[in-house]
Amino acid sequence: MKTRTWILLLAAVFLVLAGIVAWQYLGAKPAQTAEVWADGKLLRTIELSQDGDYRVETGLGWNELRVRDGKLAVTAASCPDGDCLRCGPRNADPPIVCLPNRLSIRFSEAGTLDGVVK
Amino acid sequence: MKKLLPVLLALVLIFSACELLPDSGAKPQAASDASIWAMDTVMDLRLYGDADGSVMAELTALLNELDRELSAVSEDSALTALNESGRTDNARIRLLAAEAQRVSGFTGGALDITLLPVSRAWGFSTGSYRVPDTAELEALRGLVGMDKLTLTDEGVSLSDGAMLDLGALAKGYAAELCRERMEQAGVAGRLSLGGNIQTVGTKPDGSDWLIGVQDPEDENRYLLTLRLSGAKALVTSGDYQRYFMQDGLRYCHILDPETLAPVRGTLRAVTVVTDSGLYADALSTALFVLGREAGEVLWRERGDFEAIWAEADGTVWVTAGLADKVAEGEFEVVGP
Repeated sequence: MKTRTWILLLAAVFLVLAGIVAWQYLGAKPAQTAEVWADGKLLRTIELSQDGDYRVETGLGWNELRVRDGKLAVTAASCPDGDCLRCGPRNADPPIVCLPNRLSIRFSEAGTLDGVVK
Repeated sequence: MKKLLPVLLALVLIFSACELLPDSGAKPQAASDASIWAMDTVMDLRLYGDADGSVMAELTALLNELDRELSAVSEDSALTALNESGRTDNARIRLLAAEAQRVSGFTGGALDITLLPVSRAWGFSTGSYRVPDTAELEALRGLVGMDKLTLTDEGVSLSDGAMLDLGALAKGYAAELCRERMEQAGVAGRLSLGGNIQTVGTKPDGSDWLIGVQDPEDENRYLLTLRLSGAKALVTSGDYQRYFMQDGLRYCHILDPETLAPVRGTLRAVTVVTDSGLYADALSTALFVLGREAGEVLWRERGDFEAIWAEADGTVWVTAGLADKVAEGEFEVVGP
């Protein structure tokens, strides 16, 4: 077997592998979304790529959510402390949490943190 | 045959490499998420490799079981029964009390799990915050102290009307039990139990866990991000999560056993990183009470934990064993 043939074959192998890796890591990247959970149940998933206004009821209270420019914020809530209102527009973890209403809003995006200790 | 050899070799290489890559079907390694409410907080669980959801179901059941057992506010928990009767044979409560005694012992009493009556006086366990006067606090002193806690062969007994609050250990213990179950099942993942982080195993792509440490000044920012591998427990105690403001002063929920008042000093938060969730949880509370300088001394003496201190002036101190794990952020190194 000639050296040139070996080089061509190894180059072909390399190209095939590079294609597989690109497909796995680029093609599988998820769209960015926010998950709204209440007391252990997933209430809804919100696409952050589209502006929108939402109202969620948890049984303990309500929260109004607004998506603008790819970020989500809580704009109004029935809770007494209003901590969730001060979280600011977000498109990445840490989750927005409303303890009185047992609501948490989590963000999913490839390449973000695995968790936040606090 | 000689011509076919490289072709066969190439095919073997391709298929071998495909085996090593993340499977696009990815059922054994797909992430599954759940967000549950237990122990008076939100718990976010992310598991990798729990294809049929059985481990997630087990962890959820375990966390709810611990909630029922160790809650200081639930009327029918085993802990409430102990606080009412002064005795219990509950093995889990005994284990947590023993760990609290151990940590209290080598921190000069900085961890005290008998402060429930004092916490109630400040309104931290009820949400009706107030500043009790000195006479009221002194009157409560007879009810508190780790010397009122005795480990018996089967469980725990309390004297002089003392009551236990396991809030400084329960979530860490829960993380540890979850980690054990996940390791038995061969499931990796990241647990966030009310802000306590537990990593288990390796992510499907083989990369390190990337964990942010929250900035006490701004919930949308991080002091640092850390790259960690394998099973690690991270717990923060600080003045910014549960507190109230009165007359311009901040009163945080962590009480100093000496003064019976909220800890006040130059420290905003301390994060402990170690292998055991229970130890990390207990120690972070004690380190917050002790302050940074005493905490550094303890770190040098013990050598069984790493820590991050966030001071009010914005300085962040990281112990030498953790410094090379920092991915982003500015900090000073605490040397041996």
